[in-house]
Amino acid sequence: MKIAVIVKRVPDTASVIKIGPDNKSVETDGLKFVLSPYDEHAVEQAVQLAEKGECEVVVVSAGGEECKETMRMALAMGADSGVLVKDDAITKATGKGVAICLAGALKDMGVDLIFAGKQAVDDDGSQVAERVAELLNISHASVINGFILGEGKVEVVREIEGGSYNMEIPLPALFTAQKGLNTPRYPKLPNIMKAKKKEIKELSLADIGVSEADITSGLEVTSMEYPRERSGGRVLEGDTPARVAELVNILKEDEKVIYTQRA
Amino acid sequence: MNTGNTITREIYWNVAVESFPVTQIVMYGLVFIAMGLFVHGLVKGGFLTRFKMWRLGIATDDDRLSDKAGRAVKALVEILTHKKILERPVMGAIHFCLFWGFLTLVAATTLVFIQADVTSPLLGVTFLKGNFYLFFSMAADIGGGLALLAVMAALVRRYFLRPAWLDNRIQDTTILWLLLLILASGFCVEALRMQATELQAGNPMGPYVWFSPVGRLFAFLFAGSSVKAAETFHRFIWWTHLAFSLSFIVYIAYSKLLHMFMTPVNIFLRSDSQQAPLKIMSPEIFENAETFGVHNIEEYTWKDLFDTEACMRCGRCVEVCPAYNTDKPLRPRDVIQNMRNHLEEKSKFVMGEDGKAKIVPDEEYKGPALIGECVDKDTAWACTTCMACVEACPAYIHQFPKLIDLRRYLVMMESDFPEEMNEAFKGMENNSNPWSLGAETRGDWAKPLNVPLMAEKQDAEYLYYVGCAGSFDDRNQKVSTAVASLLQKAGVDFAILGAEEGCCGDSARRAGNEYLAQMLIQQNIETFGRYKVKKIIASCPHGYNILKNEYAQLGGEYEVYHHTEILAKLLDEGKLKPNKELQGKITLHESCYLTRYNSILEPPRKIINAVPGAQLSELDRNRKNSFCCGAGGGRMWMEEKLGTAINVNRTQEAVDTGADTIASCCPYCLTMLTDGTKSLNKDEDVKVKDVAEILNEACE
Repeated sequence: MKIAVIVKRVPDTASVIKIGPDNKSVETDGLKFVLSPYDEHAVEQAVQLAEKGECEVVVVSAGGEECKETMRMALAMGADSGVLVKDDAITKATGKGVAICLAGALKDMGVDLIFAGKQAVDDDGSQVAERVAELLNISHASVINGFILGEGKVEVVREIEGGSYNMEIPLPALFTAQKGLNTPRYPKLPNIMKAKKKEIKELSLADIGVSEADITSGLEVTSMEYPRERSGGRVLEGDTPARVAELVNILKEDEKVIYTQRA
Repeated sequence: MNTGNTITREIYWNVAVESFPVTQIVMYGLVFIAMGLFVHGLVKGGFLTRFKMWRLGIATDDDRLSDKAGRAVKALVEILTHKKILERPVMGAIHFCLFWGFLTLVAATTLVFIQADVTSPLLGVTFLKGNFYLFFSMAADIGGGLALLAVMAALVRRYFLRPAWLDNRIQDTTILWLLLLILASGFCVEALRMQATELQAGNPMGPYVWFSPVGRLFAFLFAGSSVKAAETFHRFIWWTHLAFSLSFIVYIAYSKLLHMFMTPVNIFLRSDSQQAPLKIMSPEIFENAETFGVHNIEEYTWKDLFDTEACMRCGRCVEVCPAYNTDKPLRPRDVIQNMRNHLEEKSKFVMGEDGKAKIVPDEEYKGPALIGECVDKDTAWACTTCMACVEACPAYIHQFPKLIDLRRYLVMMESDFPEEMNEAFKGMENNSNPWSLGAETRGDWAKPLNVPLMAEKQDAEYLYYVGCAGSFDDRNQKVSTAVASLLQKAGVDFAILGAEEGCCGDSARRAGNEYLAQMLIQQNIETFGRYKVKKIIASCPHGYNILKNEYAQLGGEYEVYHHTEILAKLLDEGKLKPNKELQGKITLHESCYLTRYNSILEPPRKIINAVPGAQLSELDRNRKNSFCCGAGGGRMWMEEKLGTAINVNRTQEAVDTGADTIASCCPYCLTMLTDGTKSLNKDEDVKVKDVAEILNEACE
């Protein structure tokens, strides 16, 4: 059996994000990049299956050369090899474009199972994995926190509000991992060392039959701004009519959450 | 004074047979047999076999044989003065009396042997007479008398006071009773001889009976018995005394008594540093070695294995261990003893024909495992690396570093560690701090004070290395602020690294993640090198210790001071003048990494005493006996799931002094004791503060 895990290189969640001088992008200098935390759960699930039976685990990513560093983290956890769709244009692509690249790499790999994190913690798009499944025309279930492999099918548990949703899905299929699925391992040192020597195959856009135009999106970022700094709560004083008046005023003038419709 | 030949005693009196030395023949026959059994014990019972076992140790050790003369002198001084043993006054005094008492008795017996069987028969020379005889008799009696009291005290301690940490085996009983019987029978022999001769009217020795004071006292037991009866009884007890003494000699080879040889050797072999160093792993090891840390006993050094032999189970390490004192499964003595037994088992599998350990693959070895069976994982993780065991050990055994070797294996080879550590390791890896907070914000605490960064002030005399806690933990940021304010008030030329500072690597190293520790250390060494850092002030004793004592292993050598040292110096120089009076009583909790690791004892006291109105009330366990807060060795990041809480144990002790302020000198201690006051519902009445904060409040 062959399992693929889709991973993404993201800034560490504790990083202080700075907007670049063009006001449209994030300053990446000095940022510490890691394997997206939900992807760790995806890798862990694949590696656990590999430990139980004859499985090959391939890590798949799309982006620039720097993605290899992140992929090595997944290889250190126990994945066997990697495939990177490498092109600088991918860095600017949206979820749709990345999904096209990944699906292009995956379509001829003959994988039975694909795992991914439920979302990447940088832009939190929550769509690439699902798009890949659609492009490959296979079943998928997102946000799973339970997984049992059967004969040609799997039983998964999806987390839904106020309960859980148990499903049986035939293979091949794609699943995105939620936190409760497992506890990602801390790599053993010999595996960290071995990971440095494991193969990461590079594919160009041409190799997967995708043109730059295919992954260019019509979406354009016009500007970025920081969330407003959090300030303490305010307690309004005075009698009720006065407080209501003040509250409405604040919501209108300071917070700008209600507008006066022009006549 | 009567000199000449009347002041003496007859050797072999009453036991020698006229004209034929049958007594000597029988006696030396017995001595010969005893010696034979002693040697048999050493060979068969283990010494030679064990010698081979120690040599199984694979890991390379420090040079332990350089400067043999210096080592021998130091060991001899240590043994003769009992300096370490006397650190526990009662048991120390008992051992001191036994040691010196028996040494005197052995010397006396040797003199008797020399005169009776060498100089007298061969040369006709006797020397046990006159004033020398009186001195000889007095010395032997006092030595033996003290030894007798000591044995009785030891018996009372072992069987009536029964300290919980003392383990009792049959050989402990055998040894104490044998000692008691040797001494008592010896004094009975002397007393019966006196009763039959010196105490009889008209005996020329009559005036000198009190030169054998203990014998004279014992003689009261036999007062009134006839000369004949005393003589008969004397003969019987003389042979009994001989039998006990020879049994004892034989038993040395078969029991913990062997420590009288092994412990001095271990003292001779001890390392110079007061530290108990963890094994150095050179960075190349990570590229080439197949296994890291220790999971087979033969992976230790020969000295580690020898340590197991030098232990005579006194239990001092257990008595002081914070894990043991809070009902965790760690007893350092038992770790060492279990390793000793395990070595015996394991050596059967791994002893190669050349005497070296052969590699037995894990799958092929069917005996008990070192980790899990000989030493439980919980035991290995219970250690706070406070070094109380090493400090207490009179045999200079390094107990806890052996546990860190096990952690190294568990972490690096098995990825098997308390799960809370996962977050801490990842934090250190990604953000260079175990809290996993953004590395860029490390220097933010200092912004209100306008502390210069090294990048802005490259020629600053001191680098103030703040450490993770002082940089990221809200409470400890206040301590860093106090230290920086004091340095500013005193006009010290210093700067910080801000976001360029990295985690010191102490928690990673002591939690067994040596690979991560070395990455962190190398990162810092590189940064320090870029600014040509020479002098460092550190706030966290853990950072202080590793920067000062362990960075050199990877090429980083600096002059490192803890902030208490610098502040005490600034007070001495009059650059800080505390003028504001402080109300209330202060007690001082000291960090293990200052006291036992680095002998910093007076600076925090000097600082507190410099504050007007401060009344320092010492904790019972202070200075080198200070009790751990529970956070060392990476335990800061692990949950304390077994036993009771170490921090509460220590906080209770501090609260009991009646102090309203607990002074600390370590960010981990500050956190642990603050939590302790909360657990005890005392956080309203008792405040925990760093000494720097106390001083800063007093310096307006």
